[in-house]
Amino acid sequence: MPVRQLSEATVNRIAAGEVVERPASVVKELTENALDAGATKIEILTDGGGRRLIRVTDDGDGMTGADLTLAVDRHATSKLNDDDLLDIRTLGFRGEALPSIGSVAHLSITTRHNSEPHAWSIAVDGGEKSELKPAALGAGTRVEVRDLFYATPARLKFLKSDRTEGENIRETIRRLAMSRPDVAFTLAGEERAPITWAAALPGAPGRLARLADILGHEFRANAVEVRGERNGIAVEGFAALPTHTRANALGQYLFVNGRPVRDKLLIGVVRGAYADYLPRDRHPIVALFVTLDPREVDVNVHPAKAEVRFRDPALVRAVLITSLQQALVREGQRAATSGGSATIAAFRPATTTRPGWDWRRSPAYPPLSTHGNAALGFAEAAQAAFDVGGPSADARVAVAEATADLIDNPLGAARAQVHETYIVAQTRDGIVIVDQHAAHERIVYERMKAALEKAGVARQILLIPEIVELDEAAVERVLARADELSRYGLAIEPFGPGAVAVRETPSMLGHIDARALIRDLSEHIAEWDEALPLERRLMHVASTMACHGSVRAGRRLKPEEMNALLREMEATPNSGQCNHGRPTYVELKLSDIESLFGRR
Amino acid sequence: MKVTVERAALLKSLGHVHRVVERRNTIPILANVLIRAEGSKLSFKATDLDLEITETIAAEVAPGGSTTVPAHMFHEIVRKLPEGTQVVLESSGDRTMLALRAGRSRFTLQTLPESDFPDLAAGEMTHSFKVGAADLKRLIDKTQFAISTEETRYYLNGIYLHAAGSGKAQTLRAVATDGHRLAQVELPLPKGAAGMPGIIVPRKTVSEVQRLIEDNDADVAIDLSQGKIRFAIGDVVLTSKLIDGTFPDYSRVIPSGNDKELVVDKKEFEQAVDRVSTVSSERGRAVKLSLSSGRLLLTVTNPDSGSATEELEVEYAAEPLDIGFNSRYLLDIASQIESETAILRLADPGSPTLIEDKDAKGTLYVLMPMRV
Ligand SMILES: Nc1ncnc2c1ncn2[C@@H]1O[C@H](COP(=O)(O)OP(=O)(O)OP(=O)(O)O)[C@@H](O)[C@H]1O
Ligand SMILES: [Mg+2]
Repeated sequence: MPVRQLSEATVNRIAAGEVVERPASVVKELTENALDAGATKIEILTDGGGRRLIRVTDDGDGMTGADLTLAVDRHATSKLNDDDLLDIRTLGFRGEALPSIGSVAHLSITTRHNSEPHAWSIAVDGGEKSELKPAALGAGTRVEVRDLFYATPARLKFLKSDRTEGENIRETIRRLAMSRPDVAFTLAGEERAPITWAAALPGAPGRLARLADILGHEFRANAVEVRGERNGIAVEGFAALPTHTRANALGQYLFVNGRPVRDKLLIGVVRGAYADYLPRDRHPIVALFVTLDPREVDVNVHPAKAEVRFRDPALVRAVLITSLQQALVREGQRAATSGGSATIAAFRPATTTRPGWDWRRSPAYPPLSTHGNAALGFAEAAQAAFDVGGPSADARVAVAEATADLIDNPLGAARAQVHETYIVAQTRDGIVIVDQHAAHERIVYERMKAALEKAGVARQILLIPEIVELDEAAVERVLARADELSRYGLAIEPFGPGAVAVRETPSMLGHIDARALIRDLSEHIAEWDEALPLERRLMHVASTMACHGSVRAGRRLKPEEMNALLREMEATPNSGQCNHGRPTYVELKLSDIESLFGRR
Repeated sequence: MKVTVERAALLKSLGHVHRVVERRNTIPILANVLIRAEGSKLSFKATDLDLEITETIAAEVAPGGSTTVPAHMFHEIVRKLPEGTQVVLESSGDRTMLALRAGRSRFTLQTLPESDFPDLAAGEMTHSFKVGAADLKRLIDKTQFAISTEETRYYLNGIYLHAAGSGKAQTLRAVATDGHRLAQVELPLPKGAAGMPGIIVPRKTVSEVQRLIEDNDADVAIDLSQGKIRFAIGDVVLTSKLIDGTFPDYSRVIPSGNDKELVVDKKEFEQAVDRVSTVSSERGRAVKLSLSSGRLLLTVTNPDSGSATEELEVEYAAEPLDIGFNSRYLLDIASQIESETAILRLADPGSPTLIEDKDAKGTLYVLMPMRV
C-alpha cells in the first residue's frame, strides 16, 4: 500500500480516542474549559449516562466569533504562552479537546464575549465544521455534545451501563469541585435530582465546607487541617483522624496546582504518615492540594492529564508526609467525634426499652468509629450485656475531687474508675471516658519511639551472613537504600549480581527471617519508593513492648494515678488513639447528655 | 486385653511418653498412645510423625492385646490417682472402650483402632555406638542454648553431630548456632561411630533425650543412618527423623588468629554482666566492654532509664579495645563455663570473639559482637 497523508478527520478521530475515552472525559474537558474561562458558576446536564447528551453551561469570559471558529480546530488554544509547555497555569493547554469531541459527536457551542454585540454559535458534526451563526446568549458559553461516539461505533461498544458512566461523570465533577470551592457547580441528569454545591468562601473554611459537601459531614467533623511548605512546595488540605477510616483507598484525593490527579505517590504518603496509627487494611480519607511552580511538574504525560510527573518526587513526598504527620500529631489528642456521637446514638434505644440498665456495665463501646457503623454494633451487641445483674462499678466519686483547676484541663478531672478499666473524668462541659490500657499503651509507645529516634538502633552482627537471592533489579533497589537501612540497623552488602549479603540486623528484632524481610523491602521499595517495612517492624516491636509495659485493663488506679494519666495523655502527641487506631477516649458533651434525658 | 500394673511405674512411663504427643493435632490418632500388652510386658508408643517413643514396663497381663487412648488424658488420670494403687486396664468386648480401675475410681476412655497407629519405620541403621549418659548430657547441655528457633533456616534448628578430626584424635563433635553465636563440644569418638554421616538432630528430639537421661546414668545406645537416629535409654527407645539439610561450614566462623586475650573470673564476670544489664532496655540488651591493661569496664546505657558501669580486674595485656555484646548472649555462654576461669579471645569490635572454658576440654563458644 502506498504511504499517504491521513485526512484531517481521521487524525482527529485518532486523537479523540486518546482524549475522549468515555462520557466522563467529555465532561472533564468541558468543565475544565469553563474553569479556565474564569467561570463562577457551572452547570452540567447529562442524559443517558452522557451518551445522549452532555451540556455544560458557564458564566465565564466566552469567545469572540473569530476565536470560536479557531477553537474547534486542532491545536488551537488561547492558553499556551509562547508555546512554553514548561509553564502551564491552566487546566487546558493542548487545544485538542474541542476538535476531538467534534470528530466523534455532534458538538455545538454558543458563546458570548463582552466585546461582541451578540453571541455566536458553531456546530461540528463528525469533524465537519459549520458556518458561524449569530445566536442569543446573555454571557458565557454553552457547549452541547449529543450522540457521543456515533461516528466511532467501536468505541460505543466499550461503554458500560448508563449508571456506571453516570457515576464516572459524577466522580469527575466531584474531583473538579473539590479543587475549586469558589465555583458553584450544578449537576443535573435524568438519573437524579440536581445537586448544587454553592460557591464557598476562599481559604481553608471554604475548602472544608466544599469537602464536607462532597465527602460527607462526618468527614468534616473528623478532619484535621493539613498545611505545610518547603522549598516552594506548598500543601494544604484536610485529612481524616485515624479513627475515621475506610476499608479501601478510594477516598484519597490529590490535586496538583488545582488539577485532580491520580498518583500512587499519594498512597505511599498516606501509608507513611498514618503508619503509627492504622492497621494495614484501614484507609483514611484525605484530600491534599499541592501548589508548586508549574515548571517543577510536567502535566503533559498523560492524554487525559490524569497523571503528572514531578521533577523531584522525593521532595514532594517528604513535604506531604511531614505536613500530614504534623497535622496528625497536632490533632492527635482528638479522637473521632463519631465516637461520642455513636455512643449517644447507642444510648437512645436502650433508655426507652430498658429503664433499669446501667450503661457503665456495657462492655461494648470500645470499637466505636473504627468499624464504620459502630452505633449499630453497640446497640445490638450490648443488649445482651444489659441484662446482667445490678451495677458493680466501683465508682469512688467521693475520693476523686473535681477541683476547678483540674476541670479546666482538656481531659478534665478524674472522678471515678469503673470496671477497673475505664476512667470517667469531668470536664467543663461534659464527661470523658478513657480506656486506661489503650491510653497508657500509646503513651509508652510514643516514649519508646522517641528513644529509638534519639539513640539509634543497636545492631547484632551476624556470625554467618545471610545470603538472600533476588533478581538483579531488586538487588539494585535495596542496595540503593543501603544507607537508610543501616540507620535502622540492617547492614547489607552486594553479593554477586543476583544476591545481597545481610551482615547486621536490628538487635531488637531478635532472630529474624532476613530473607523475607529483604524481599518485602525490595517489593515495597519498587512499589512505593520507600523502605517502610523495616521501620514498621521496628515500630511494631516497640508497640508490642509498649503493650506489655502498659497499665492493664483490670488494674485499680488511685485518683492521683488517674489524674496523672490524663495529664500525660494531654502532653503526649497522638494520645487520642491507641497504636491500633482505636480511640483511647470518648467525650460526651453535657449537651449530649442533656439531650439523652430529654432536657433539650 | 486386661493388664494390672503399679501406678508408679505406669506414671513414670506415661510421663516420658506423653510429652512427644502434640497438644494440638489435626490427625486424631496422633493424640493417642498405643498400648500393647504381651507376656508379662506392657509397652507404650507415641509419635508426632517426626519423633517416636516407646517404653516397656513389667505388668500382669491376661489376656494380651492392644489399643490406643488419648495420651494426655490417660497421663492426667494416672497422675491424679492416689499413690500406691494398682491400676487395672481392660478393653471392652467390642474394643471401642478401655476401662481403667484403681481403688474406687472408674474411668472409661474412648479408643481408636491400633491398626491406624502410624509407624515411624526406622529402616536400615548404618552406624551403632554407645555413649555414656553423662557424656551425652554434656554434648547436649552445652550446645542446646545456641540452637536457632528461626524456622526459615531450618538446618540450624538442631544440633549438628558428626565425626571430626582424624586418626587417634578423632572426636564426636556437637555444634549448634543461631547465626549470632555458636557452641561446640566434643568427645573422643566412640567405637562404631567412625565414618558416620554428619547429622542434624532436631531441637525437640534433643530436649527429649536430655530429659530421658536425667534419670538414667547407664550407657545410651545410638543407632543412626542418613535420615534417622535412635536412642536406647534404659527401657525407652526414641526414634527420630533427622533434619534434612546441610549444616553450614561452621569451621570458617571460628576465629583462629584472635590475639587479644582476656582472662576473667567466670563468676565475677557473669555477675557483673548480670548486674549492669539490669538497666538495659528490652530493645537493646547491649553491654559495652572497655578493655585496657588489667582492667575491664562494663557499661550499659539505656536512654529510657539510666546507665550502669562496673569495673573488673582482669588479665589483659593487649592494646585497649571497646566492644559491644548482647548481654543475654554473654550470660548464656558464661553459664556454660564449668571452670573458674573463662578466656575471651578478641580481635576487633566487628569480628567474632572466641570464648573458652579454661579447664573444660573440648568446648568452645563463638560470639558475634553488636554495634552500639
Ligand atoms: N467554555 C469556554 N469558555 C471560553 N473559551 C473557551 C471555552 N471552551 C473552550 N474555549 C476556548 O477554546 C480553546 C480550545 O479549547 P480546547 O479545550 O480544545 O483546548 P484547550 O483547553 O486550550 O486545551 P486542551 O486540549 O488541553 O483542553 C481554548 O483555548 C479556549 O480559548
Ligand atoms: Mg480544554
